[in-house]
Amino acid sequence: MRIRTVGRHTREGFKNLFRNGWMTFAAVSAVAVTLFILGLSIALSLNIQNVSLNIENQLQVNADVSDSVTAKELPALGKELAHLPGVRSITFVSKADALQKMKKILQGNASMFNGLGNPLPNEYVLQAANPEMTSGLAKLVQHVKGIQNVQYGQSFIGKLLAVTAAVRDGAIVLIGLLLVMGIFLISNTIKITIFARRREIEIMKLVGATDGFIRGPFFVEGTLMGLFGAAIPAFVLYELYRWMFLNVTLFPPFSLLPTAYVASRVLWVLILCGVFIGAWGSIVSMRRFLRV
Amino acid sequence: MIELQDVWKEYGNGTAALSGVSVRIKQGEFVYVVGPSGAGKSTFIKLMYREERPTKGHIFVGGFNIERLRERQIPLMRRTIGVVFQDYKLLQKLTVWENVAFALEVIEASRRTIHRRVEEVLDLVGLSEKAGMNPRELSGGEQQRVGVARALVNKPSVIIADEPTGNLDPDNSWGILKLFERVNDRGTTIVMATHNRELVNATHKRVIAIEGGQIVRDQERGDYGYED
Ligand SMILES: Nc1ncnc2c1ncn2[C@@H]1O[C@H](COP(=O)(O)OP(=O)(O)O)[C@@H](O)[C@H]1O
Ligand SMILES: [Mg+2]
Repeated sequence: MRIRTVGRHTREGFKNLFRNGWMTFAAVSAVAVTLFILGLSIALSLNIQNVSLNIENQLQVNADVSDSVTAKELPALGKELAHLPGVRSITFVSKADALQKMKKILQGNASMFNGLGNPLPNEYVLQAANPEMTSGLAKLVQHVKGIQNVQYGQSFIGKLLAVTAAVRDGAIVLIGLLLVMGIFLISNTIKITIFARRREIEIMKLVGATDGFIRGPFFVEGTLMGLFGAAIPAFVLYELYRWMFLNVTLFPPFSLLPTAYVASRVLWVLILCGVFIGAWGSIVSMRRFLRV
Repeated sequence: MIELQDVWKEYGNGTAALSGVSVRIKQGEFVYVVGPSGAGKSTFIKLMYREERPTKGHIFVGGFNIERLRERQIPLMRRTIGVVFQDYKLLQKLTVWENVAFALEVIEASRRTIHRRVEEVLDLVGLSEKAGMNPRELSGGEQQRVGVARALVNKPSVIIADEPTGNLDPDNSWGILKLFERVNDRGTTIVMATHNRELVNATHKRVIAIEGGQIVRDQERGDYGYED
């Protein structure tokens, strides 16, 4: 194809976009919403994965001491825990320390603890010697007398993975529906263009323009709609994420992946999907309404 | 040049438009196709550039076996045929020059070729002065000359015209006919379906008369032959 032909198709494609202002707007919006949700779920999944990894790497077992254990008995309990196999280190966090820490995290909302006394337990935090030993260690700790509750990464990861799966399933259904709508709206917009240009198309066929040449501008129109439909959520998501990254304070093991990393994983997916939706929409329309 | 062998055409609704038409037209001929309304003239024309396909029979135009043509070859075949219509089929938002150039642009001719050819045919049809005008600003005769220019710009070996003077007054009709004769003098085959008795009777060219989907008369140097 000649460069000039590509230029012509692009010019005509743009003209068509603006000619069908409102239809184009509806189609682009549908694609934008679809891809916004897609981008959001990818960014969310990436971060959940990352948090899971953080937790896994912490090798940490939190053992809550039951309130029946007196202050005098604590050192003995600490010793017993420290001698369990697979323990690299052990630290004690007292009720008072834990409350202090919690209040710091909650900042302005700390007053909600007023009048409750201190609901937090004394706690031993054990580090396992290596990641594989974490769950075994947790089981041993569970059976030590005076320990009421044990938490370690795995239980939390399980919950996180369940959330991830739910997010993914919900997103797939929603994206599927919106995808169909996006393709439908794009093909409908192009149908209108084809109708508006039927005279030109008729003459093109008459004087021997090839099918590819006649289709060119419609293909460009659809692809551009898909591309705009991707660019908008790409921009919004990028800015939104960057804002969150800079302004939302999280504490380990929770953390947000850097903006550039998430962008490098999400943006090209959005652009590719947009182009795909647009191209598909225009092909659907041409198959049905452009008898060449 | 053009040959139809026992061509039948029945439309989807069962209307038999042509019933066993055979005819041969040589390169450089000028042929009128006459007959009453509904006789099958337009169908005859449409079959030649594959706007319609025959139910049965064979059609050859130029080197092409029309009904055996692959989809991809249709555009190539159409580039060898110029078609002219009663309603001109011009694009109103383009100028005269652009309307003619359009036919070359969409087959990706080079800019130089487009300029050269458009100047040439506008000169031939006598519209160089009005190249920048809009079709709406032209008389019917002038609009049809733009239609002819567009049909010619691609240097087709045959011009097919369906009632090209149907909307024109006698003077303008004569103008179009003179133009066709000039083109024909240069060796281009002309096939023209018409109702225009004066033109047919005054020019003594080959006349093919169709009635009820059949050729009822094929006369060298013929006349219109109907009283209508
Ligand atoms: N697209 C079509 N569908 C059905 N019938 C048609 C169609 N075109 C033409 N006909 C019928 O075929 C016959 C021949 O029509 P046409 O070729 O247009 O005749 P003419 O041009 O001589 O007036 C007529 O009876 C007409 O009604
Ligand atoms: Mg007719």
